[in-house]
Amino acid sequence: MGLIQEISEYLQKGRAKNVKALVQQALDENLDPKEILNDGLLSAMMIVGTKFKNNEVFVPEVLVAARAMNAGLSVLEPKLVEVGNEPVGKAVIGTVQGDLHDIGKNLVVMMLKGAGFEIYDLGVDVDPAVYIDKAEEVGADIICMSALLTTTMPKMQDCIENLKERGLRDKYIVMIGGAPVNDSFCEQVGADYYTPDAATCAEVAKKVVLEKRAAG
Amino acid sequence: MNSKERFLATVERKPVDRPAAWLGMPDIYAQPALFEHYGVKNMHELKLAVGDDFYAIEVPYESPDASAIYAAFDWYMDGNVDAEERTLTADGCFKDAEEIEDLDFFEWPDPAKYIDVEECKRRIGAAPKDKVRLGMMWSAHFQDTCASFGMETALMNMIANPEIYEAVDEKIIDFYLKANEIFYEAAKGELDAVLIGNDMGSQRGLMLSPEMVRRFIIPGCKKLVEQAHSYGLKVIYHSCGSIADIIPDLIGVGVDVVHPIQALAAGMEPKGLKERFGDKVSFCGGVDTQDLLVNGTPEDVKAKVRELRTIFPTGLIISPSHEAIMPDVPPANIKALFDEAQKVY
Ligand code: B12
Repeated sequence: MGLIQEISEYLQKGRAKNVKALVQQALDENLDPKEILNDGLLSAMMIVGTKFKNNEVFVPEVLVAARAMNAGLSVLEPKLVEVGNEPVGKAVIGTVQGDLHDIGKNLVVMMLKGAGFEIYDLGVDVDPAVYIDKAEEVGADIICMSALLTTTMPKMQDCIENLKERGLRDKYIVMIGGAPVNDSFCEQVGADYYTPDAATCAEVAKKVVLEKRAAG
Repeated sequence: MNSKERFLATVERKPVDRPAAWLGMPDIYAQPALFEHYGVKNMHELKLAVGDDFYAIEVPYESPDASAIYAAFDWYMDGNVDAEERTLTADGCFKDAEEIEDLDFFEWPDPAKYIDVEECKRRIGAAPKDKVRLGMMWSAHFQDTCASFGMETALMNMIANPEIYEAVDEKIIDFYLKANEIFYEAAKGELDAVLIGNDMGSQRGLMLSPEMVRRFIIPGCKKLVEQAHSYGLKVIYHSCGSIADIIPDLIGVGVDVVHPIQALAAGMEPKGLKERFGDKVSFCGGVDTQDLLVNGTPEDVKAKVRELRTIFPTGLIISPSHEAIMPDVPPANIKALFDEAQKVY
């Protein structure tokens, strides 16, 4: 088995120490850092995300895989900076105001990282305007909002209205999700995309950011 | 039939005059509108006014750190266990624990010191005798163990260091077994049922694999159920979300009623549950709080209750799909739920 393949398999099993050591070994053997990233770490995380989406693995398995990915990234990141690797895009994410549920939001963070995004995680109970302030500050591509309560879902609409008032609606892709959210709510509040799970969120995010960039 | 007879018949899946119905525990912000709608002044009056078949009783608990038993553990070690802000994912004091000795520093609360037996008796005595007197035990050992490490660390420990997870869980279960014994002894003969539970489900499926639920949650569940049964109490077991895959395990340890039927969660359609498990366990819930009760009309709610009554001629306690009714539910929809549930066809 090749080294990259081995990294991928250990990541899928959530073995952080092995992943870290193997990434170091791969660097020592002068493998291309981008290949280690994309074929060793990120694609493995996407495999785990897809299994999670299909209820083949569950939250604990995703968490240990993400921990292993982060362990690998910690070794790899300095090299990636050296070779000038650009993230796929930048995403600002948080759970909406009044809502403290963050397990799902954290999984979305992990999967977006797995898709190659740079993440700005605002945590929970996030004021609608704060998403926008942060997005403006870091030059984000996407704003992601999570809500698990029917009582806090309207905050998503507040953020979108706020974007419009500030003349920034078209500047950002807005994605929303969480247990009570669905396609019709997405349409109703004028968000761009809803997905029912984290892996699909990452896939869609990557696709639309690349498309938007290609369209200039 | 009175409320108690109706409940016991539901548990045994024998014929009922009409289904039992439970209001749940409306969120504090949802209460004012409900009080106004029914023209009452407090929760006690509300329960009577809606015609609730149940009367929930909370375990009194007063320690230097907490004034609710579900907030008994000071995992953040700051003497300020604010139930409102407990989100399970914040780092708990066992975050870095690797060996069993690393848990030694924690001072486990002694329930005997903080549960006032006289207050237990007073609360239980104040509940109307013709209602189903329901002890809200929770005893949420899985959620507490998650909070003690921080949820993500706890879930990762289940894979990477299961011994440490189990060591904490065991301590927590011991705490609840002791606390519950105090309450059950104080209640002798005056309590009918208890609610125990842990949230294990998300909208789309279980949060843990069924195997992990079996290893890490069901054994504690079994101890708590057996203890309640030894006092002649019926057990309503609570878990939000999509939990159909582990309902057989709950049945296996003797759970009497599964709560809630979170109607929109995957695999929790009332019809399917009735077909798969309807002859082995009873249910509570089914009236969706994620869309219907929030956005529907009273007529829609009534239609849903009629449908549920057709699917479950018995074996279902009609109730919102989450016990904490939120302030976005119009009181007229709660009234519609009870009006239709209380009709004798
Ligand atoms: C765990 C849980 C809690 C924990 C939260 C711990 C934490 N730190 O997150 C605790 C115990 C603290 C809690 C508290 C409450 N909860 Co709660 N909770 C749940 C539960 C059981 C599971 C949620 C979860 O973590 N799922 C696991 C994750 C992985 O799934 P997920 O969050 O859905 O995320 C996935 C997708 O939705 C998606 N996704 C998520 N975010 C995003 C964002 C984007 C952009 C995209 C594209 C996708 C996406 O990807 C994720 C992974 O695939 C749900 C039940 C349910 N059906 O969801 C109730 C539930 C959400 N809770 C509910 C309630 C009522 C409450 C409380 C009000 C109860 C109370 N009175 O105390 C409080 C509210 C606290 C607050 N202010 O926020 C109700 C809400 C009902 C309603 N009207 O909407 C639910 C639905 C339960 C029920 N039976 O009805 N809860």
